[in-house]
Amino acid sequence: MAALPQPPLVYADAVPALLQARQADGGFAETPGGDYRPDATAWATLCLDSFQLYPELSAAARGRLSAGQQPDGGIPLSADYPEAFWPTAAAAMALQGSPQFAAAHDRAVGFLLATTGQHSPREDDSPLGHDPSIPGWPWIADTHSWVEPTAMAIRALTLAGHSAHPRVQSGVKMLLDRQLPDGGWNYGNTTVYGKTLNPMPAATGVALWSLAGLAEADKVAPSLDLIARELPKLRTPLSLGWALSGLTDWRIETGDARALITDCLQRQQKFGPYGTSRLALLLIAASRSGAGNPRS
Amino acid sequence: MTEQPPGNSRFSITRRDLLWCLAGGAAMGFGLHHLLRQAGQRQAEVFIAKAADYRLDLGSIITRGLQELGVSAEEVRGKKILLKPNLVEVSPGHAHINTHPLVVLGALEAFRRLGAAEILVGEGPGHVTDTQMVIEETGLQEVLFENRTRFVDLNYDSLFPLPNRTGFSTQSRLVFPATLRQVDWVVSLAKLKTHHWAGVTLSMKNLFGVMPGSVYGWPKNVLHVSGLNQSIVDINAALTPHFAIVDGITGMQGDGPIMGDPIQSGVLVMGRSLPAVDATCCRIMGIDPQRIDYLRVADRIIGPIQERNIAQRGEPIADVFTRFALCDDIPAQKILL
Repeated sequence: MAALPQPPLVYADAVPALLQARQADGGFAETPGGDYRPDATAWATLCLDSFQLYPELSAAARGRLSAGQQPDGGIPLSADYPEAFWPTAAAAMALQGSPQFAAAHDRAVGFLLATTGQHSPREDDSPLGHDPSIPGWPWIADTHSWVEPTAMAIRALTLAGHSAHPRVQSGVKMLLDRQLPDGGWNYGNTTVYGKTLNPMPAATGVALWSLAGLAEADKVAPSLDLIARELPKLRTPLSLGWALSGLTDWRIETGDARALITDCLQRQQKFGPYGTSRLALLLIAASRSGAGNPRS
Repeated sequence: MTEQPPGNSRFSITRRDLLWCLAGGAAMGFGLHHLLRQAGQRQAEVFIAKAADYRLDLGSIITRGLQELGVSAEEVRGKKILLKPNLVEVSPGHAHINTHPLVVLGALEAFRRLGAAEILVGEGPGHVTDTQMVIEETGLQEVLFENRTRFVDLNYDSLFPLPNRTGFSTQSRLVFPATLRQVDWVVSLAKLKTHHWAGVTLSMKNLFGVMPGSVYGWPKNVLHVSGLNQSIVDINAALTPHFAIVDGITGMQGDGPIMGDPIQSGVLVMGRSLPAVDATCCRIMGIDPQRIDYLRVADRIIGPIQERNIAQRGEPIADVFTRFALCDDIPAQKILL
């Protein structure tokens, strides 16, 4: 462990903070002492991997994710709530690349390819502006498809080599259909009763992150402009993390990302520690944007 | 909350409600029977206060309301209380979407004066996964920090299930955040708003926000697919919240709960019975509560909505009456015109 590269000083306190939510069986909770959460475990694993830190902890975390996998390949919130299968995409990304968990990864990918939301034909008199017929992914079984779980599934499948798969292509189409007229995304409605709804930074960032390399730049240009304008105002780890990840993957300049991330981390001293998923997402974004790369 | 249109039509709840009455609750067992008997016996008191501005001493106004409603220090002392504001999303220039942080502060002060052992503030916003951004941009974060009050993100809390004892929606169980099991009182700190699927969103609908996004999604689409109005009744019947305070200082009219216009209605409305509070709010807004599906059903099993069963304290309704604009191109509001 001592030979592994260490994160820069500004993040030195953040990674151990992440590990405080680690459990004896290798999984992670959202907060120290909390219940096991597959989403927290997946993001913590991806964070450790992004900094190339503590590979033995990542392996244990993958083992915990794999232990929670259901016979259908899904990795839900818990066995008590199998319908809440939305953590599967993040778990698939965390399992990817590990020979020991290749079979678990393949089953998770198979689950994503086989799963969609409730969809219905577009109706002329619908109060909704989007096309509800385009398949994406839902948060929860037997509900409509929404932006964030669709973005996560697209990314997990793309990383697994399925970018040309019809499900990924329809997911891309769905996200573009859900893009707001002036740019950005929210949870997944564009207009309702003729009124355009508001964009949200986290949803916009994650949608852009998933579409990088899959959509043409001019199709998302207003959204890129929007999130680039919003970036300096973002203070919370989830919105800042997703905004940075989205912009980074579209190779858009993120300005002084290091200062934004540092400020965001320091705010914990006033308002309390961030949950595992949020902290991990911010640190992953830091790593990927170059702001947190030990070699930068 | 803005999502898909509710899965069931407004008529289906009426049909099911009639079936309940005809069956006398036998089909769904003791739970509904018990609720029906309780509701039939109950009268409710609702307190209305004029409050023209958020800069007023809202803590004293809420304290007076609690006193008028017989909420004593003996009843509150030593209790752990959860204040549940309505925080949906943030948008510049649209502060009227959410319960104002100074109303949360007023409630904090009032329950502290009565000797509450601990007061938490909790919410699980329906439109955004970044709860922290919502509490920060509404200004609530600073209020909580200055008052050393803990916020619980109910979307990510630990979970516990309860059977759906009223069974109006299609869900067999309801999953709640563990914090609700750890508190003695749940106080719905709602906003006075119209709603494009439910007609109005007040203290009962506000409790959608306790349902964790980790199990119900963002938006809480499970609750819409299984019946919006039905879910409102089921959640309130299962949770049995203890008190409601509705922030009507600035309300929302028209295409609520997000895109509507602000309206200065200048009231705070409070009570122990959430249906009675919501019915009173409707009357203040110029809306017949009998036309709100979930209120009509709640009247039979949770608490009264008829005027003769509600004792109004504080200001008379006529003195604070403020007609809220409704949209005639939105079916859930057209029926209220």
